[in-house]
Amino acid sequence: MDALTLARWQFGATAFFHFIYVPLTLGLGWLIAIMKYKYLKTGNKTYDDLAMFFMKLFAINFAVGVATGLTMEFEFGTNWSEYSKLVGDIFGAPLALEGLTAFFLESTFMGIFLFGKGRVSEKVHTFSAFMVAIGGTLSALWILIANSWQQTPEGYKLVETPQGIKAVLTDFLAAVWNHTSAIRFLHTVDGGLITAGFFVMGVSAFFLLKRRHVNFAKLGLKVGLIFTAIAATVQVIFGDIHGWLVAEHQPLKLAMFEGKFKTEKCASLDLFGIIDQEKHESKMLLKIPCLLSILSYHDPNAPVKGVDDLIKEYQQKAKYYASLIPVLEQKLKEAKTPEEMEKIKEQLIMAKVKAHSLNISYEDLPSIPLVFTTFHLMVYLGFFFVVVVLVGLWKLKRGTLYSSKGFLWLLVLSIPLPFLANELGWISTEVGRQPWIVYEILKTADGVSPVPATNVAISLTVFTIIYTILFIIYIYTMTRAIAKGPNIPEEKEINAPTEPNPSFTTAFSSNREVK
Amino acid sequence: MPIELFTTLNGIWFLLAGIFLVGYALTDGFDLGAGAIHLFTKDEEIRKTYMNAIGPVWDGNEVWLIAGGGMLFAAFPVVYAVSFSAFYLAMFLVLWALILRAVSFEYRNKKDSPTWKKWWDRAYWIGNVVPAILYGVAVGNAVLGIPIDQKGVFHGTFFTLLKPAAIFMGFVALFMFVMHGAAYLMIKTEGKAFDFAKKAAIVGFVGYVIFLALTDFFIIATEPKLFMNFFKYPLFWIAPLIMLAGIFFYFKWLIVDEKYNKVIYASSMVIIGSVLTIALASYPVFIRSTIDEKYNLTIWNSASSHLTLLIMLISTLIFLPIVIGYTIYVYRVFKGKVSAEGGYGH
Ligand code: HDD
Ligand code: HEM
Ligand code: HEM
Repeated sequence: MDALTLARWQFGATAFFHFIYVPLTLGLGWLIAIMKYKYLKTGNKTYDDLAMFFMKLFAINFAVGVATGLTMEFEFGTNWSEYSKLVGDIFGAPLALEGLTAFFLESTFMGIFLFGKGRVSEKVHTFSAFMVAIGGTLSALWILIANSWQQTPEGYKLVETPQGIKAVLTDFLAAVWNHTSAIRFLHTVDGGLITAGFFVMGVSAFFLLKRRHVNFAKLGLKVGLIFTAIAATVQVIFGDIHGWLVAEHQPLKLAMFEGKFKTEKCASLDLFGIIDQEKHESKMLLKIPCLLSILSYHDPNAPVKGVDDLIKEYQQKAKYYASLIPVLEQKLKEAKTPEEMEKIKEQLIMAKVKAHSLNISYEDLPSIPLVFTTFHLMVYLGFFFVVVVLVGLWKLKRGTLYSSKGFLWLLVLSIPLPFLANELGWISTEVGRQPWIVYEILKTADGVSPVPATNVAISLTVFTIIYTILFIIYIYTMTRAIAKGPNIPEEKEINAPTEPNPSFTTAFSSNREVK
Repeated sequence: MPIELFTTLNGIWFLLAGIFLVGYALTDGFDLGAGAIHLFTKDEEIRKTYMNAIGPVWDGNEVWLIAGGGMLFAAFPVVYAVSFSAFYLAMFLVLWALILRAVSFEYRNKKDSPTWKKWWDRAYWIGNVVPAILYGVAVGNAVLGIPIDQKGVFHGTFFTLLKPAAIFMGFVALFMFVMHGAAYLMIKTEGKAFDFAKKAAIVGFVGYVIFLALTDFFIIATEPKLFMNFFKYPLFWIAPLIMLAGIFFYFKWLIVDEKYNKVIYASSMVIIGSVLTIALASYPVFIRSTIDEKYNLTIWNSASSHLTLLIMLISTLIFLPIVIGYTIYVYRVFKGKVSAEGGYGH
């Protein structure tokens, strides 16, 4: 394998691994902060017990999140140095701001949050929990701004330097609020909230099934359920807006998401299917006529372009830019004023870059079945989550939530699913972005570092070993900590009634503002 | 003093890069130093005390590295790209070590089994010693020069980086952090944990002085031009003077006056002085090319656009004081001696 393929595997694998832990950190931070806040407001000790217990699990997760996040920051330099040189002027800023505004906040208050109980007042402890949650969310904001800029670059111009062509910042706000950063931020953070919500519900359901810490578990399940109900419903809306933006800015990606090779008017939404990439063919089951056109363009008659036509379009554009080059060179010679020269030079560089980067062929595309499958699975999981929380709310209202074994088991078994949905979302987003590393500007192949393939092979091997061991230890420690349960005496509760405790329910029915 | 250090964005960013490096070395430096002596005591109580002293703060300290890396990426992307890809395997060695360190903090005390602890102790020690040494080696290579061409492509291997002077600088860094870590532990501990920290401080001090002398000797013998800047700009002598004063006071407060709570000021001076000395010696170059001086990466040819530098400067001026503010607050919360007890309810 060449250095490029290895580097892509390494980045994909390490990012995948980092993002196992990130969503839980993002969401659980908020849930714990809310529990601490409820404790301050109501004085109900169970809220504090919940917060302290989930804090322990949070810490186990956070440690691996931090350790693997470091990798990502290193890799832009080690594996994607040409990319870093080209876009460092723009891409570096959000990464630096992430450290400055988010990681310092999160990590510093993490000290108080984990070690400060008893040393600082409950107010300060709660405040620290909020700072940790805000820090994590800010870090997501900046990193997603950086990622979104790669997807839909804006606010830059291209210049030629002795070290090669570079993208230079012209408008900071345009680069930061490029077309997709806001929605990507909302959608990804909400993915984290869903993950944490299901985690808290699942762990609580586990205690209920084992009849341990019953009061504790009931409250956890209730808080988790209300929290997740909101997060999961909203996610469908965010997802729809997100898809609409993909259609507008990355039509090639949309075509791969939906497995469309030929352009279709009134395009159908296909639920299942088999794609044969070599034959440019897809066999779809369950076609819903016109729905894709409606979802993507809010117009049933809008054409959705297929992969084959899009590739042709790109090649034509590349040819057009190539034909511009001699014309512009001629113009440059004839230019009189320096301003004019400056302007033509800019156009010339753009033409050169586009003539190269838009010249893609069908063979450059990633695996379309992979993009199609990951994307569709994410969406199905999204609807599944909504169904689960609706059933949960209904059971809560009927008062059977804490006693229906089947449903509690479903919650326990659902713990990994949101993690999966997050990863599927990223895979479809990132693989669907190929063959570019910066959309329509820089091909992935042109961004890789000039390091020998053996070096990348060595690092990839070591990563695989370290990360596998880490994952095993993580699962082992996490399950041990869950099995051990919270640090509260169990005896008292063994006698507790298993059916809803009336005094308990009334104490909380007045606290509906958990939302 | 070259005036453009203060009047141009590129110059100011050179200074800011130095500040982030100093910030990192001052804070995470004592974590690394405390970790580096971890295996040299067999006493479980001392080990746990030391880890408790570092526990609440190490993660915030490490962010200086992450933020500094981000700053380098934003302000001097070419330096970031070239150094990380040129030092490819060395960078990953540092990274893997830091990963080990980060997880050993969390997982070591999760289980009361001697085998479990033994392996985490080793991981933790490696996680501190390897970065401490490699930072020195990397800085050494940047100032001594590496074979890079005009596009910044590195023409060498991992072994190109193992020059004697650079390796000596690795040990200078290691012992410097041991000095600093021991100074921190002397403040945070008492009893036998304190006594061991005091011994470590002496070892760190002796090691530092020996390797510093060796490094200087090698550089004077092989690369005397590295001292040029100090003759061109006499004000630059401030940096080595701070370092020498630090060495003097470290000895005075540790051995002569026995003012153990003050020793950390001396080790901080040593760190500030050492980092600045190296930075100023190589100014305005970040990475020297041994192929041709023309290919040196300097603050002029590897910087971002003025707009980016300006935006990042303003953000730094706003946020860095806030960061320093709450960092000080957290250190206050955790001031006082620690013991082997505590942690957060493991
Ligand atoms: C800030 C930028 C950024 C962010 C937040 C992510 N990625 Fe990414 N990803 C890249 C920036 C990037 C990249 C540097 O641009 C890569 C490297 C090679 C490439 O083509 O794009 C990439 C490639 C890449 C690939 C390989 C694609 C291919 O080569 O076909 C996968 C599978 C992922 N990423 C997955 C993820 C996951 C699971 C992420 C969640 C954390 C993630 N990415 C976040
Ligand atoms: C590919 C680009 C990415 C890079 C370079 C990166 C970098 C980092 C670094 C250096 C850390 C450790 C910080 C510390 O020591 O406290 C970290 C942790 C973290 N990252 Fe990432 N990250 C990436 C992707 C993401 C994404 C996509 C998100 C969120 C949507 C995210 C959210 C977080 C959060 C919440 C943490 C806190 C610790 C934890 O994960 O448990 N990161 N990241
Ligand atoms: C229910 C319907 C959902 C829809 C319609 C939807 C839609 C989308 C779309 C269109 C993208 C691609 C954006 C791009 O390529 O630029 C995306 C990405 C993503 N999705 Fe979903 N999604 C849904 C549910 C979920 C759920 C439930 C989760 C997680 C729990 C999730 C997590 C993600 C993540 C992490 C990404 C990658 C980051 C991003 O681009 O925002 N999605 N989603």
